[in-house]
Amino acid sequence: MEAPDEELMLAYGGGDAGAFETLYGRHRGGLFRFILRAVKDRGVAEELFQEAWVRVIEARSRYAPKARFSTWLYTIAHNLLVDHWRKKGLSLVSLDGEDAASESANPARHAESREALARLLHALEALPAAQREAFLLHEEGGLSVAEIAAVTGAGEEAAKSRLRYAMAKLKAAVDGN
Amino acid sequence: MTDDGDISRRYRELAREEPPRHLDDAIRAAARRAVGTRPAPLVVPTGRQRWYFPLAAAAVIVLAVAVTLHVEREQPEEEIVTAPAATPEKPKLEQPGSAPQPERRRKTESADSRESRNAAPPAELQKAPEAVPTLPPAPPPVARQEPPPVAGAAARAAPEASAQLRRFDEGVRGVPSLSASALQSPEQWLQGIADLRKQGRHDEADRSLAEFRKRHPGYQIPEPMREKVEKR
Repeated sequence: MEAPDEELMLAYGGGDAGAFETLYGRHRGGLFRFILRAVKDRGVAEELFQEAWVRVIEARSRYAPKARFSTWLYTIAHNLLVDHWRKKGLSLVSLDGEDAASESANPARHAESREALARLLHALEALPAAQREAFLLHEEGGLSVAEIAAVTGAGEEAAKSRLRYAMAKLKAAVDGN
Repeated sequence: MTDDGDISRRYRELAREEPPRHLDDAIRAAARRAVGTRPAPLVVPTGRQRWYFPLAAAAVIVLAVAVTLHVEREQPEEEIVTAPAATPEKPKLEQPGSAPQPERRRKTESADSRESRNAAPPAELQKAPEAVPTLPPAPPPVARQEPPPVAGAAARAAPEASAQLRRFDEGVRGVPSLSASALQSPEQWLQGIADLRKQGRHDEADRSLAEFRKRHPGYQIPEPMREKVEKR
């Protein structure tokens, strides 16, 4: 049986570098995609991704498993994204509840893409930032609605609503509606 | 119609972007460094702690040399003291506080002149020769200087501490004392007594000879030297 993330993080805090290797291997892909799809810029995503792990490393001795490790990890990433948007004068929450008129949501591009996966990807990019974040936390981080609420600082109802809206829009995109 | 599970499945079929290898390596290295520096601070000292190690090594070497030299200097005297241990007179020396002898010595001393007190200090001075700072061999008792009266009074009032102070004072001033004589070899000590006889200072010579016999009860004084040191 595999050791839970929290146990690995505690082991790493105690000086076990191998525990970090395992932990990193489990979460590197999901966290990277979560950040990449939020910022849509590979260079920025790499920078934020590295910063997130540096914060994990720095906090190793203070870590206390009050919640799941992934909740803590994605909270760090969420806060980095918020800082990133603030620097750029944007906000994750301001886009909540309204469709972003992104280029990828352009109907012409939709028409060109005949594959459902491509439509899904485009629809994902077209989602409002908060809904996209809720969806990515659910899919990449494996977080529950309550955990999404905890990570984003929103209420559980808001998190649930964002996730429901995101799912509905992605379904519609895949179905070609 | 797709459901939530289908969306999740389709999402996972999307391109699976991964962080680049160099980023993985950098993060893993940082993680190892973070925990690797803690358990072995003595191996790779950094910053201000760098100079602790040479300093500690130098201090250990100096201490080792000092102890070795000290032990080498102590050894000859130990041999002199331990050799006659089997002789019957030894117990008298080993019990300075029990017999009336120290008391008698004190009375004798108080009756003597201050000058003779310098030559024959209280018996307490001779109890712990190993505690006496290393003094050079005492020169023949030719030129003597009076110690300050305060030092003499202090020596009588507080025997051990004051005695040590006085011994040091006398050693510095070059005035011979029994404790200084005790640091000499028996031959040197006897020669000093012979010199006193030559100078006609027989009282001092007698006291010094008596002290010599207490300190070296088993020592056989050679006949030629005996003629020089004993009262004629």
